[in-house]
Amino acid sequence: MYLTVRDATKTYGNFTALDRVSIEIEKGEFVCLLGPSGCGKTTLLRLIAGLTDLDGGTITLEGATLSDLPARKRGFGIVFQSYSLFPNMTVAENIGYGLKIRGVRKDDIAARVQELLALVKLPQVADNLPGQLSGGQQQRIALARAIAVDPRVLLLDEPLSALDAKVRAVLRDEIRQVQRSLGIPTLMVTHDQEEALALADKIICMNHGVVVQAGTPEDLYHRPATRFVAEFMGISNLLAADTVARHFPDLVPTRPASEDSYLACIRPEQIEVTPSENGGAVVRSISFLGNLRRLEVESPAGPLLVETHGGSPYHTGDRVELSIAPKACTWVVDDTVGTEAVSA
Amino acid sequence: MSLAETSSRARMRPRFDADRLLTLACIGLPLLGLILFFAYPMVIVFLRSITVGDSYGLGNYTEVLGSSGFWRATRHSLAMGGATTVLSVLLGFIIAHGLYRCAFRGKWLIRSVIVLPLLAPSLVQALGLIFLLGRNGVISRMLGVEIEIYGFWGLLIANTLYALPQAVMIIGAALVLLDARTYEAAEVMGAPPWRQFRDLTLPAARFGILNAAFVCFTITITDFGNAAVIGGDYSVLATEIYSQVVGQRNFNMGAVVGIMLLLPTVISYSIERQAMKRQQAGQITGQEPYRPSFAPLRDISMAALSLLICAGILSVIGIVVYASFVTLWPYNMALSPKHYDITLAGGYSSLWMTIFISLAAASGGTVAVFLMGLGLRRLPKAVAQPIQILAAMPAAVPGMVLGLAYILTFNSTATPLYLLYGTAALIAIVNFYHYHTQGFLTVMTGFRQLPSALEEAAGSLGAGLGRTARDIVAPFIAPMLVSVFFFLFMRSMVTLSAVVFLTTPDLSVAAVTIMRLDDAGLTSQAAAFSTCVMGVVCLAVLSMKVTLALLRRRGANKGAT
Repeated sequence: MYLTVRDATKTYGNFTALDRVSIEIEKGEFVCLLGPSGCGKTTLLRLIAGLTDLDGGTITLEGATLSDLPARKRGFGIVFQSYSLFPNMTVAENIGYGLKIRGVRKDDIAARVQELLALVKLPQVADNLPGQLSGGQQQRIALARAIAVDPRVLLLDEPLSALDAKVRAVLRDEIRQVQRSLGIPTLMVTHDQEEALALADKIICMNHGVVVQAGTPEDLYHRPATRFVAEFMGISNLLAADTVARHFPDLVPTRPASEDSYLACIRPEQIEVTPSENGGAVVRSISFLGNLRRLEVESPAGPLLVETHGGSPYHTGDRVELSIAPKACTWVVDDTVGTEAVSA
Repeated sequence: MSLAETSSRARMRPRFDADRLLTLACIGLPLLGLILFFAYPMVIVFLRSITVGDSYGLGNYTEVLGSSGFWRATRHSLAMGGATTVLSVLLGFIIAHGLYRCAFRGKWLIRSVIVLPLLAPSLVQALGLIFLLGRNGVISRMLGVEIEIYGFWGLLIANTLYALPQAVMIIGAALVLLDARTYEAAEVMGAPPWRQFRDLTLPAARFGILNAAFVCFTITITDFGNAAVIGGDYSVLATEIYSQVVGQRNFNMGAVVGIMLLLPTVISYSIERQAMKRQQAGQITGQEPYRPSFAPLRDISMAALSLLICAGILSVIGIVVYASFVTLWPYNMALSPKHYDITLAGGYSSLWMTIFISLAAASGGTVAVFLMGLGLRRLPKAVAQPIQILAAMPAAVPGMVLGLAYILTFNSTATPLYLLYGTAALIAIVNFYHYHTQGFLTVMTGFRQLPSALEEAAGSLGAGLGRTARDIVAPFIAPMLVSVFFFLFMRSMVTLSAVVFLTTPDLSVAAVTIMRLDDAGLTSQAAAFSTCVMGVVCLAVLSMKVTLALLRRRGANKGAT
């Protein structure tokens, strides 16, 4: 294991920001810390960066403990949401700053800066001041500045959140490309599940200062362990066990134990819908989302969300038949009981 | 050491680290200065106020409280403070409203005239009034009437002129906070202009007005220069301290009056700080500046009123400059430079000395507040907060009281600090700590605007504290540092109240020389000397503007390629 966090704990007064959190990052891996605001993901990133002190637990890099090392000696690269370029330095000076501190020769710095500017596709802006660049450009420079020093770990703190949708999508792909080509182990904090699904090799889903589930994007989307994960990772239909037994008896054998608190989680695109004169369900409303349509269907099992691709023959009020394949159903623990339900 | 202690120590990481040492030095040196040159003298002045003979007791207080002179001075101070506050806040609101909520040309003129009283020792207003309205004043002679300018009315006008710039700046800052969108919303909802004024402008200025009132009250009751020159028989607390200490060499009684003067200023200052917090809490980011459109009735009347007030200020300051060139006021009005040949009271040596002292106070002070701000950012809140409160305290202490505290502390052979007594260094130090709060708060504002992510980014790139301070922090808050430097320089050039106790026959400063010349009846020479001081300060203002413009230009040029 390359970077290991074990039992990391951090409290602020009475508030526990992190409660014995353990995570692992392998060499070259892109890991996303995903969760709603206040779940502790940024605190965890700052602990790893060395910007905040641990209250308990250990952080090790290739077996060596990092706890006693101040941020400036960890050799990590970090990109913040707010760009955070040094306003008094030009783009080239910003990117070269870490190398300058390391005493690299001027010519070598200049060459490396040009190389990095080409990598982030901004070869012309070396002598500009940060204030003269757009948000997307500034964030690319911030990325170049972070990777200039060949960091042992790249830390990204919501790097795309301040950008508008189009720029975000483009930059998302570029971050992925750069990370892949350089193979830098990367940890990114985000609250956007779509971003996490698109970028990560591994997603660590957090809530209330603990890790709820860690796994590949596929795992988390198709096999969520808890109701929180199911709801956070996109839209899902959650059905109580007795409802399932009454209306979809085919799904009952997939249930792992006879626990009543388990809920059946079915993604909207996994429900098959067919028009039927005497079907038991009625289309209540239709949202057109471009590539697909989302139907809100009133069924005997309660309201369900269904997604269909292609030209839809449905209208509000149509009667339809619903069917769910047993393999499309996942059973999740209802971990949001007693706490505020979080919906994606 | 028990095992439990060892392990908790290990978690606290008592690791030797150059950065932690540097942080300690950053905070430690300025803090030591604050304790030695502010807190300690204040304790001394308090102890002296309760020293009776060889023991402690409240004897001095009962004696002061039983004297009619003290009560008269207190009554006068409060009446003068109240009247000046009402007048300067009213006039200040008119001008601020004109500047920020009305549309007329020539605002730059009002803006530059309004700050003139800040560029001169406070006694210049009093001098100007004497040249205008005194027995031989221009206006008195023109109208052929005898006006008794010495006393309440003269002092009221002089103090109002002195407090007005502060009132305009504070109320103006509050008005600016209310952005254009708020007015647009009200307009769309159908609110007529007078309702917009009553429902939006006035409430927005509420904290500003309150704040301005406290500031005006404080600077009025603590000012010494105007009271000394034009107060006449109208004794106030500041002149009372002076006569107790310098006139009767009665230090303990002076200390008692000083503590009494401290009470209202501390109360007023703490309320003002609260008001300021409320105002800052209401601040929003990303605002759209309000651009008033021309409304003839409102704008012409506001412009006329503002210009009238400015004419008043300009004539009071201008007459001093003019009078300094008049051969023999008021008998021979021919112009000549003969009053600039000053031989009494040490001639111009005190002017050079003041410039030297002001440069020292400004450079030392700027470095000290910068280091302090740098260190405070790296301290846990529980430690930083008490230090911040201490650093903001000097503003609550009147200059007269601080000066008195210094003479009691440094003129005593009890400690090696005695070596500082009678040196220019001590005057530079008292000037810095007298205006410590304003300088400190300005730098802290700069530090607050500095995103912590910048320092964190530098840190994770490998930069230590020294490097981060030099490459990232200092360039970022350079404009603030320049402002603090010139602020300290200008205040040191013109201040009178704190230094009046610390000058010696061999070591005087400009404001004290002006007072001495005026005392000696050499009013025209006092005017000439004042003009020289104003010249130096105006030069400083100019240099500040040029420096700030250069800083901006350098930034712009850098990115222009």
